[in-house]
Amino acid sequence: MPSEIITLQLGQCGNQIGFEFWKRLCLEHGISPSGVLEDFATDGMDRKDVFFYQADDDHYIPRAVLLDLEPRVINTIMTSAYSKLYNPENVYLSKHGGGAGNNWASGYGQGDKLQEEIFDIIDREADGSDSLEGFVLCHSIAGGTGSGMGSFLMERLADRYPKKLIQTYSVFPNQDEISDVVVQPYNSMLTLRRLTTAADSVVVLDNTALNRIACDRLHIQNPTFTQINTLVSTIMSVSTTTLRYPSYMNNNLIGLTAPLIPTPQLHFLMTGYTPLTSDSNLSNNAVNVRKTTVLDVMRRLLQPKNMMVSTGPDKSNHHCYISILNIIQGEVDPTQVHKSLQRIRERKLAQFIPWGPTSIQVALSRSSPYVQSSHRVSGLMLANHTSICSLFERTLSQYDKLRKRGAFLDQFRREDIFKDDLNELDESREIVDGLVQEYEAATRMNYLEFSANKRDPKVDGDARSEEPKSMNSVGF
Amino acid sequence: MAHLKTTKTDPVRTVLAILIDETQAKHTPDSIIREFRATADKRRSNRELLLLLESISCKRPNYRNVLDEIRSMLERKDPMYALLVFAERINGKFLWPSKTSNALSPLFDMPPPLSLSSRNTVLSGASSSDLLTPTTPLNSRSADENIDLCTMASTTSYGRRAVDPADSRADLRQIKQRVLNAVSTRTEPGYDKIVKHSKSGNKSVTTNGSSISPGNADKNASADDVWPSLVLADAYSRKTENGDHNHNAPPSNGLTEEYHPTLLWDYYKVDDSNSLCKQSLSGLPLDTQQNLILEDLIYVLNGVRGAYIQPLARDKVVEKYETRFTIHNELDKSLAELAQEILPLASHYMGIQIAISNSEGRGQVISALNAQLTVITKEYHILISQAEEELHENQLSLSKLQYYLQPTMWVLHAICTFVVEMQTNNCHGAAVLSLLGVHIKRLEGDKSAQEAIISLAQKAAAPYMTMLQAWIQKGIIVDPTREFLVEDNEVIHIYELPEHYSDDYWERRYTVRDKCIPKFLEGHSDKILRTGKYLNVIRQCGKRMMPIQNMNLKYDPTNEQHVRVINDAYYFAARMLLDVLITENDLMGHLLSVRRYLLLHQGDFIMQFMDACEDELSKNVDQVLPITLENLLGLTLRLSSARGDPYKDYVHCGLLTYDLVTQMSKIINPDEENWKTHDRLDLSGMECFAFSYEVKWPVSLVLNHIAISKYQMLFRQLFYCKHVERQLCKIWKENSLTKKFSPQSAELYRSAFTLRQRMMNAVQNLEYYMMIEIIEPNWHIFIEKMKKVENVDMVLKLHHDFLDLCLKNCMLTETSHLNRAIFKLCKICLKFCDFIQRSQRFFLDAELKSMVCDSSDENTDQSDSEPDISDRLQTESKMDETDTFGERVKRFDLEFTGMLITFLKQINDLAKDNTTDLFMNLVHRINFNGFYSDQMEKLCVENAMG
Repeated sequence: MPSEIITLQLGQCGNQIGFEFWKRLCLEHGISPSGVLEDFATDGMDRKDVFFYQADDDHYIPRAVLLDLEPRVINTIMTSAYSKLYNPENVYLSKHGGGAGNNWASGYGQGDKLQEEIFDIIDREADGSDSLEGFVLCHSIAGGTGSGMGSFLMERLADRYPKKLIQTYSVFPNQDEISDVVVQPYNSMLTLRRLTTAADSVVVLDNTALNRIACDRLHIQNPTFTQINTLVSTIMSVSTTTLRYPSYMNNNLIGLTAPLIPTPQLHFLMTGYTPLTSDSNLSNNAVNVRKTTVLDVMRRLLQPKNMMVSTGPDKSNHHCYISILNIIQGEVDPTQVHKSLQRIRERKLAQFIPWGPTSIQVALSRSSPYVQSSHRVSGLMLANHTSICSLFERTLSQYDKLRKRGAFLDQFRREDIFKDDLNELDESREIVDGLVQEYEAATRMNYLEFSANKRDPKVDGDARSEEPKSMNSVGF
Repeated sequence: MAHLKTTKTDPVRTVLAILIDETQAKHTPDSIIREFRATADKRRSNRELLLLLESISCKRPNYRNVLDEIRSMLERKDPMYALLVFAERINGKFLWPSKTSNALSPLFDMPPPLSLSSRNTVLSGASSSDLLTPTTPLNSRSADENIDLCTMASTTSYGRRAVDPADSRADLRQIKQRVLNAVSTRTEPGYDKIVKHSKSGNKSVTTNGSSISPGNADKNASADDVWPSLVLADAYSRKTENGDHNHNAPPSNGLTEEYHPTLLWDYYKVDDSNSLCKQSLSGLPLDTQQNLILEDLIYVLNGVRGAYIQPLARDKVVEKYETRFTIHNELDKSLAELAQEILPLASHYMGIQIAISNSEGRGQVISALNAQLTVITKEYHILISQAEEELHENQLSLSKLQYYLQPTMWVLHAICTFVVEMQTNNCHGAAVLSLLGVHIKRLEGDKSAQEAIISLAQKAAAPYMTMLQAWIQKGIIVDPTREFLVEDNEVIHIYELPEHYSDDYWERRYTVRDKCIPKFLEGHSDKILRTGKYLNVIRQCGKRMMPIQNMNLKYDPTNEQHVRVINDAYYFAARMLLDVLITENDLMGHLLSVRRYLLLHQGDFIMQFMDACEDELSKNVDQVLPITLENLLGLTLRLSSARGDPYKDYVHCGLLTYDLVTQMSKIINPDEENWKTHDRLDLSGMECFAFSYEVKWPVSLVLNHIAISKYQMLFRQLFYCKHVERQLCKIWKENSLTKKFSPQSAELYRSAFTLRQRMMNAVQNLEYYMMIEIIEPNWHIFIEKMKKVENVDMVLKLHHDFLDLCLKNCMLTETSHLNRAIFKLCKICLKFCDFIQRSQRFFLDAELKSMVCDSSDENTDQSDSEPDISDRLQTESKMDETDTFGERVKRFDLEFTGMLITFLKQINDLAKDNTTDLFMNLVHRINFNGFYSDQMEKLCVENAMG
């Protein structure tokens, strides 16, 4: 059918958020956990075929490919109520089941080895759709499978399906707490490189921000993965709502993302969501004091506390929006849209890039009639904001710290890709640094003349020779 | 009345005795005979003899004719012979009046009001009406109009007297017979001869001493001989004495033929040469005078000339309906004055009669009015006949008569005034009803007269109300005389014109004739028109109508009952048609479908359709195969989310071989004949394509071809923008490959990317503006209003307003040439896309080449897409393309930016003059972060400078 999207779930995190995402989609489309359309949902004017297809017995099957190198999460899914939902042929578990051991290189290497089997599945899915629009990848960038195998798959997909869009929902690790995965900075850096070069758009889901939101906004002391993943699945489902409940605009993935991404590199998107309340405190104090207007929603969406990315304080206050898309659901008066935009413009509530025209696009979307929302109006913001680079800068500095010490590199050297040298790591760093530079440049008027330089890590001590910064230095 | 002793021995004496008895003259039969028997020397002159005869026979209607005959006879024959003839003539042509009057006499009195009312209650109770009693007006009967005249007359006037109705009928007949007799003398066989005689004798009379010159004897003077010259002369002298200017017209006291186009009595001058000589009044006692004048009055009140009361010729224009009378000047002054007071009634009566006869065949309303006037006239006749009865019983005096007639006089005066106004204004149909309304208002205070007019109005309005009822109850027009306010202009049968009928039908089929709206319906004409219109539409839907039963539509000027009925009918019809449209034919569903396809609301369907049709539509319009499009459309409809739409089969493809601007002018001037003749522009299929939506009656009433054309205009603009957006998205995806490239080349392409992004920003914002800010909110408002809609006209208006508002704010009106600018912007975007797509290959190759060149640290990632040697060589030869690439991007940039800035500036300038349009919102959107502000200002400055 039209503009189909194949979802690839990789690794523990990817499968977990994917699981929540499908749960949510089933709920919204009135599909039972076993894939059968509920009686009340038979006459819906929604588009289920973007994410589902129908089997011979008419039950709905997600266009999802579940991949993992260790069986735990997938086994949980396959023993849940939704076990019958998925096409078992699309569930791929590595035979030895040992996982990637949180090692990017291991995941990447295993991806290489298993690519034939994996692409059998993906190709079959792609052939089964009429006009495949693209792939959505769910993974985390810190672990082994999601990051390593995800990176491999992204590269392969970009080659194999150059006309198809690759979008990822990438979970960035929590920076507030010490990770139990010591090589996380390496993993992140290596994955970020692929996200930069192979993916068309990356929706950044920052665990730091997600946890903070869970604690501060939802008042959950120790948020569980499930609670965090519910948040993520909400983001995922709302960001695809214009595809599933099509209206005038933004009803395919490319139409949704293209306006947000002016130049190919600047394709890391933040999300914001409002209202952020958990079910538990809804019953207590969710008294809607006044009518929620479009302006209220848009204003709240511009507040950093509602963002799913923790960018840290912007000291120089120079970061700005490259583009914004607000997807607003619920009972809103369409006549208010212009007024709200005007207000935001006049009050300068948002700072925009100086080198090109940009604006806040507002998509009024229908929402599922089968999900009872306690909120009349809700909004999701998909934004391309230059401050996202602070996330990469953080990753860079963590990486540099680790790399300077040369710590934990042994397990990487064991894999094929690092057999000869660690160039891959350094190249990745260079690309990510270039990305940071480009985002910084995008805050300036002269972005168009910008050209990335090779910058050395601030904390030197690396084996690499020091070269003076040169305008003529050729890239990678 | 004294009893007559009829001696059978001498019929002449008997006749004379009766005559003397009748006139109460101071003669005896013997004395008269003596006079006639006297020898020629002792005998009185012929004239004196004639006067004598006149004095005794003046009560007979035919006395003039008889006397004329006698007069000529006296000149040639023996007086005694003349007397015999006189007796014979007078007797033979006189129907005895007293046959029934004897029986009636004890009862035939016009009782004074008091005694009457008491008798009323005793004898007939509530059912009786006081119609003919002097105190009540003629028209006070209210409910029993349907009873035919005869029974009505008997029950109302005689029922209470417990008299056999036949008697009263006989009574009436008697009056009529008398009248007829008087007329019929003309046509009797002997008459012609007599007239000839009288003509010959005429001259001698006039030469005798008449002041009339013999010269005008022919027509006018022929009237004179009716009037004894003596009296005439007297009348003249009196007139001149009084200096009565009204009467300074030639003293032709008969009415000439031209006033007498119909069979109306109208004081027609009967040639009465054979009538008796009029008795001189001066010598008579007052009682006799009164009786004589009363008798005359009765005649005059019935429209017949009297002996002493003569009508004056009417002024042709002003007094066409008014008759003035002269009264014999020998009559006692007090009596004359009294008679003069009664005489206007005769004038009113005759005025009404003339009006009735003049307005034959002038429509249903006037016919109904005349019918009612006739009824009133008949009642009037009964009243007069009753008066006559009383007169014959010697119980009537002038003052009594005046007292009896006074109320009737007021009423008839009111009616007459109305009738005259109606006639002089040449009213008919609704105007009559309006005029009645005016008169009803004017008579506020004169209750009886007002009631008379009200009942007239009710009657007169009846046929109109019947028409109205047929219209608002069934939607039928039965209007042969074209009096009804709604006109049916049906020219073509509805199914003969499948495309263009609906809008025309609605607007033009039924129209209101403004001059046919009676005053009391003035505020409701629109409602009335719509009621029937709705009913007709319902009928044309093939739906069995259940019209309001028991509709009781009557016009009553005293209340607004008809308004309620009209309102009820209107709401019924409106509700019913709305039901038919909205519930049965699912208008809202159709509108939703139209929005889905023609306003691109179902975005995914449009996308899918574009995917399918892109190749076909990118051809020149002449090469596009409509059948292919139709097939692809069908396929898309069945495969997309539109498959659940029950109305998807109403959607069709259309290729409009003219551009938007032409289409616009067509809609604005639909009559212009440039539909076919317009030059075909070199257009691509994409520019010409539009969906059409074909619906059946009655939904086509709303979604008529004008409305669909408007939707199509919106569609074309939206579709074209969507197409441009798609192309931009396509090159966006292709360009995203460059993220693998080195930063240097990225810099080169960045100008192209940002230009693409600016284009995307402009086009998308234009789409957002049109869809989210214009169409959607207006649709929203439209739907909200539609929920409260009461009638179909409102639906049409709302729909029309919605479309016009959308068109206007989407810059699709001809006045703003903005849509040309939009079109140009789109064009340049497409050109740019085309350029980028063509150069994509080259810069991809170039990039890969550069990668290969310093492939020292190149990963093997791209190795599989590495071009082979021959390709590389080709690339090298095109290396300078990259130089021109940058330049060309720059040219595109300049062109696009210039155009966009001009466009934004245009909107800005427009917004200065017109703050109601929302165009400015588009500027705000495109220039949301003020990116174009500097450039726009620069342009403003430039414009200001030069």
